[in-house]
Amino acid sequence: MLTEKRNLGWHVLLILIILAIMLPVLFMISNSFKTLQESYHSILQLIPAKPTLTNYVTLNKQINLFRMVANTFLMAMIVTLGKVLTGLLAAYAFQNFHFKGKRVVYFIFVATIFVPFTTVMIPNYLVIAKMNLLNNVIGVALPQMCDATGIMLFVKAMEKIPTSLVESAKIDGIPNRKIFMNLIVPLLKPNIISVGAIFFINSWNEYVWPTLVLKDKNSFTLPLALQNYISSEGGTNFPLAMALAVIMIVPPLLIYMVFQKYILNSISSSGLK
Amino acid sequence: MTTTGYSIELEQMSKSYSKKTQVINKMNLSVVPGEFLVLLGPSGCGKSTTLRIIAGLEAPTGGKVLIDGKDSAQLSSTQRSIAMVFQDYALYPNMTVYQNLEYALRVHKVPKQIRQQRLAKILASLNLTNYKDRFPAQLSGGQKQRVALGRGMAKKSKIFLLDEPLSNIDVQLREKARDEIQRLHAENGQTIIYVTHDQQEAMALGDRIAVINDGKIQMIDTPANLYHNPANLFVAQFVGTPQINVFKVNYFNHQLIEENGTVVANLANYQAAGLVEDTDYLLGIRPENVAVSLKAANTDFPAEVESVVDYGRYQQVTLRAFDRLELKAVVSDWPVGTTRNVYVKLSRENLLLFDDQTHERLDANPEARFVLKGGQRRKVEA
Repeated sequence: MLTEKRNLGWHVLLILIILAIMLPVLFMISNSFKTLQESYHSILQLIPAKPTLTNYVTLNKQINLFRMVANTFLMAMIVTLGKVLTGLLAAYAFQNFHFKGKRVVYFIFVATIFVPFTTVMIPNYLVIAKMNLLNNVIGVALPQMCDATGIMLFVKAMEKIPTSLVESAKIDGIPNRKIFMNLIVPLLKPNIISVGAIFFINSWNEYVWPTLVLKDKNSFTLPLALQNYISSEGGTNFPLAMALAVIMIVPPLLIYMVFQKYILNSISSSGLK
Repeated sequence: MTTTGYSIELEQMSKSYSKKTQVINKMNLSVVPGEFLVLLGPSGCGKSTTLRIIAGLEAPTGGKVLIDGKDSAQLSSTQRSIAMVFQDYALYPNMTVYQNLEYALRVHKVPKQIRQQRLAKILASLNLTNYKDRFPAQLSGGQKQRVALGRGMAKKSKIFLLDEPLSNIDVQLREKARDEIQRLHAENGQTIIYVTHDQQEAMALGDRIAVINDGKIQMIDTPANLYHNPANLFVAQFVGTPQINVFKVNYFNHQLIEENGTVVANLANYQAAGLVEDTDYLLGIRPENVAVSLKAANTDFPAEVESVVDYGRYQQVTLRAFDRLELKAVVSDWPVGTTRNVYVKLSRENLLLFDDQTHERLDANPEARFVLKGGQRRKVEA
């Protein structure tokens, strides 16, 4: 009885939390299917009286949606692949090679996590400008190709692989690149997927840095386009902004759904053992 | 498929991880081609480190390792021609049994046909043919251990290193696995170095056993010599179950006298080589050389029976003499219902005497195989 009562309390709390999280999302979805007028007088109504696709059609006319999705996807993909690859390689080196000052180097790497983005924003911008990469998604992606969080997470994951595995392969004369590709990467697949998904979603949603680099509307990523619809300049059409927001959350949501198992696994196992 | 193994030599080899702790201290060791050598010692004695250095996983901080007469520092892992079985087997979890065996061969571009032939033979000889498509997680401990052995065999290396390969499997399976390893050695003629802390395993397997403690080889010899003629107290105590009885005696007037004044052994007829009058020694006697009887005879001393454990084939008797000295005896026909009071006789031929300070063995018994001249102590190969 006691446990059931306690469970009930937990369930009420969880339901409240879920509502708090879900309401804004539902609000966004429902308003994206309302006309401007309807949204004005019944903005809080969750089910649109007359659902319409006009917002989506208008969006498609006003901006090159496909191009923007592609831009965002390209940028997020490059950043994710870069972070995962450099993270894995660096973690492998930290874990399996012995060199002088390894700990110090690792510490410096990890310490970069605590450097606020605002302090590197300007220098990065200057470098990217010199490289003629302004207005280019490559310019957005390049400074983010390496991330100490990824290195740290992969080092932690590799620590769980018994050292004897790598040693055994070394005695058998397997070169490092094969040990990395044929053993470490397959064994870390769940970690790679979960860390990669988190990187991808973060990068997909990124706003400040892309605003600095991307000026030309053709090179915009989705968060920048969205800003245009809610800013003081053009932000009067609220349902349009909601429609764009819906489009924006679909890819991360899909990724999350597909890789849910791995993401949850890595979150729950990172605390244990 | 006989191959001849490589020789392995350690010359003054040392290893330390920090200035304070010396894991291995100037070790000299010479393993002849095709030998089965067991490194035996308690945990933390440096035996695994020695193996890892030979394998090239760690570099020695001093001295040399010669493999097939060549300085191993210059050799790549392929030139060393070493296969190793780890304590946790180190099977690749993402590969099937067959892939585990095949992987190194594939990377080294051994032709597919040869691979298949060789592996089929190995799988069959280890009873693994039916399991070849399973992943390691789907195997029992004994099967995993056989896969690990098979992976080592597949390489056809000249040297086979085994690091406590049997410590994670059931006792019942161990004997079978030991036989398998011995058969493998007989068939392939590789040089095998086998690390264990289990002295029975060491005795069962090794041509020679190197007993290691504190990063030094205490003694290296055949199992029989290790048991009967231990070089020092550590070896005497580490080898043999139940453990050897050891107690302090004083040598006086050709007699060994226990601390309370009782004569425990009379050496009158023996020329007590190297023993110094009125000096303390440590006397060691194996439990099977402690005779127990109900009647007193010359040089016998009384004792009380504390407990008797019947192992069927033999009984292990724990005795207490002079109210404090515990002695273990192994006898084969313990009379049922024996009284508590008995008489103990130590077999003179099998007494082992050790220096009270250095714990080195002295050879006081001229009937034993080794006679030492004038107090000279047996030098330990270290």
